[in-house]
Amino acid sequence: MNSFILATGVFDPASLVLLIWVLLTCGVVSYFSYRRHVSPLRLRAIPGIAAIEEAVGRATEQGKPIVFTTGWGGDIQRPTTLAALNLLRFVAGKAASYGCRILFPTHDPVIAEAAKEIIRTAYNEAGHPDQFREDDVTFVSPSQFGYASGVDGIVSRQKPGAIFLFGTFEGEALILAETGNINGALQIAGTDSTIQLSFFIVACDYTLIGEELYTASAYLTDDHRVQSSMYAQDLIRAVLVTLLILLPILAMLGVNLYKEIL
Amino acid sequence: MSRLLSTFSARHLVFLVVLLAATIPLLLNIRLTHTASDETKHFYANIDSLPSGSVVLMSFDFEASAFAEIKPLAEAVLRHCFRQNLRVIGLSLFAEGTALGEQTLSRIAREKGKVYGTDYLYLGFRPQCTSAILAIGESLPKEFPTDYFGAATATMPVLSGVTNYDQIATVISITDGGMPTYWVDYAVTRYHARLQTVLTATMVTSFYPYISSGQIQSLIAGLKGAAEYELLLNESGGGGRGLLAQSVSQIAILAIILAGNMVGYLDRRRKWQ
Amino acid sequence: MTNRLAWIATLVTGLFMMAQYFIKTEATNAIYTTLLDYYQIIFAVSMIVGGIGLLKQHSLKVQRSSQQRGYSLITITAILFMVIVAVISGTGATSPYQWAFNNLQAPMQATTFSLLAFFVASAAYRGFRVKSAPAFVLALAAIIVLVGKSGFGEMISQQLPAIAGWVLNNPSTAAKRGILIGVGIGSVATALRVILGIERSYR
Repeated sequence: MNSFILATGVFDPASLVLLIWVLLTCGVVSYFSYRRHVSPLRLRAIPGIAAIEEAVGRATEQGKPIVFTTGWGGDIQRPTTLAALNLLRFVAGKAASYGCRILFPTHDPVIAEAAKEIIRTAYNEAGHPDQFREDDVTFVSPSQFGYASGVDGIVSRQKPGAIFLFGTFEGEALILAETGNINGALQIAGTDSTIQLSFFIVACDYTLIGEELYTASAYLTDDHRVQSSMYAQDLIRAVLVTLLILLPILAMLGVNLYKEIL
Repeated sequence: MSRLLSTFSARHLVFLVVLLAATIPLLLNIRLTHTASDETKHFYANIDSLPSGSVVLMSFDFEASAFAEIKPLAEAVLRHCFRQNLRVIGLSLFAEGTALGEQTLSRIAREKGKVYGTDYLYLGFRPQCTSAILAIGESLPKEFPTDYFGAATATMPVLSGVTNYDQIATVISITDGGMPTYWVDYAVTRYHARLQTVLTATMVTSFYPYISSGQIQSLIAGLKGAAEYELLLNESGGGGRGLLAQSVSQIAILAIILAGNMVGYLDRRRKWQ
Repeated sequence: MTNRLAWIATLVTGLFMMAQYFIKTEATNAIYTTLLDYYQIIFAVSMIVGGIGLLKQHSLKVQRSSQQRGYSLITITAILFMVIVAVISGTGATSPYQWAFNNLQAPMQATTFSLLAFFVASAAYRGFRVKSAPAFVLALAAIIVLVGKSGFGEMISQQLPAIAGWVLNNPSTAAKRGILIGVGIGSVATALRVILGIERSYR
C-alpha cells in the first residue's frame, strides 16, 4: 500500500518527516486529552493569569468597564485568536457575574460575531441576559491604524478599569498599551508576536509570553482534558529540547541527522 | 499659559524632544556618509543574480500608514528589478496597499520605459491572505483570470509560462506587518517558494529567525535599508533623505533613556535621604 | 444538536485540511481549491455584514443623542461618502475616491502610525531604568543596537554596526526562536483542542 501511494505520486516522500511529526504531536496531544486516569497536575504559577480575576474585580469596584481586544494581526482561524477567545469566555463569565460591562472592539467582523456569541452566552449563564449590550462588541475598522485609533478612542473616552490585550498584535501594540497606561487601566497582555512582547512588558502590568497565552485556558478551567493537553505540549517540548541538544553533539561527531529528524 | 505649563509632564517633554529630533533634520540638506550592510548586500545580490526575464511576484502588503517608510524601499527594489529586465507581477493582500502598490509599480515602470502586460502586470487585491497565497500555489492564472483593471491575463506575455510558484524566481513581500509569516507558512513551507521581504524598521527583528533557518532568503528594512540599497544602485531616492531624521531620532531616544536613568537615580537618592 | 453539527463540521474540515497537505489527488485538490474559494467569498460577505453593522450601530448612537453623537455622525458621513463616490465615479487613479484615499485617509493613518515614535520614546524612558544587573544588560544591549543601527554607528566605530548585528542575530534571535518553538507547539495543541471539540468558544 505504502509503495503504491509513493509510486502514484499521491504522497510526496519529502513530506514524510513532517508527517511523522504531525502524527506524533496529534497522537500525544489526543492520547493525553482522552486518557481516563489522570493524576492532578501541579501548574507553575503565572502571575498574568492569576491577575485576570483581580483585574475584572478592580474594574467592577471602580464602576468602570473592561476592554478586551484580540489585536489586528490575527483572523479567526489563527490559533492565537482562538486562544484569546477561550480567555474571553472566562473574562466575560467573570464580568457578567460581577455585573461589569465588557467592551470588545475588533478589526474583523467574523471575530466580532464570535465574540458577541461568547459574551451573550456568558451573560445568559450568569443570569443577567438583560445586561448584555450588543453594541459593546464593535467592528471598528479592518485597517490597522483605523482599528488602533478606534480602540484608543474607546479607551480615552470610557476610561476602562482593566484592559486585556490578548492575540496577535503588530505595529498597533504599543499605541494601544501606552494609551491604556496613560489612562491608568490595569493592563494584561499576551501575544505570540515576539517583537511586540517587549512593548507589552514595558507598558502593561502583566504579560503572557508566547505559549503562556495558549496555556492560559488550562489554568482557568476545571476540564482535565485541557490541562492534560498542556502536559502533552510539555512532553513534546521535552523531546524537541533533547533533540536540539543531541543533534549538534552528533553532528560534531560526524553523524548529521538534522534532515532525517527535523 | 500657566495652566498649560502646569500640566506639562516628563512624558510631554519626551514627546517634544522626539518631535524636534524627527522634524528638524528633514529641513536640513545633510546626507550621512554610510556603507551598505551585509544584509542589504545579500538582498541586492539575490536580485542581481536572477537571469533576465525571470518572474518576480511582488506583493504590496502594507497600509497607507507605513507608506512614507515603505515607499523608498519599494521604489529602490523595483528600479533594480526593472534594470535587470525582470518580469514584475504585482498584487496586494491588503485592501489599502492595492492602490498605493499600483501607483508605485506604474510610476517606476514608466520611469524605466517598461510596457504593461509585457514587462509588468498588476493583479490587484485578494481578500483573505491565507487562501490567496495557497491558491497561487495551485494556479496563479486561475486565481487571477483578470488583472486590476479587468483585462484578461491569459493572453499577456508577462504571464507566459507562469503557472505557480515553481515558475516564480522570487516572491517579495513588501510589508509593514507580519505578512511574511503567512508567506513562510503557506508559500515557502507548502510550495517551496523563494521568499524575500522588504520591511518597516520596527518589524525587522521578528524575521531574523526565518533568515537563519533559510525560510526567508534575505530582507531589507527601514529608511536605513533604503539608503543602503540606493547606494548600491547608485541612484538617489527617499531613503538617503530620511536617514538623517531617523538617526537623529535614535540618538534622541538614547538621550531619553539616559535621562530616565538619571531621574530614576535622583528619585532613589531622595528616598534614601 | 446545532452545536454537535458545528463540531462535526469543524472536525471533518480540520482533518481534511490536515490530510490534503500530504495526500495529493485530483479529488482532494478540487475540494481544497473549492474550500479556498468559499473562504474568500465568506470573508468578502462578512465585510459587507460588518460594514452594515457598523452603520446600524452608529445610527443608533445618533438617535440616542449620546455624548458621542458627533463621532458617530462623522463615521456615518465618511462611510457613505466613500461608498457613494466609488459607486458614481469608480476607484480609478484620478477618481474622487482615490483623491480622498490619498489625501485624507493616508495622512490620517500615517499620523496614527507616527504616534509610535512618541510612545516608543516614552516607553524607553520608563522601561530602561537600570535597577539590577539584568536591567543593566538590557539597557546596554539597547544602546549598542540603537547607536549601531543608526546612521551615526559607522562614524563612531566601524565595529559598532557589526556588534549591533551580532546582538540581533545571536542572543536576540536565539530567544525569539525559543519563543517561536513554544508558540508552534502551543498553536498545534490549541488547534487540536478546537478540532477535537475539547475546547470551543461556542456552547
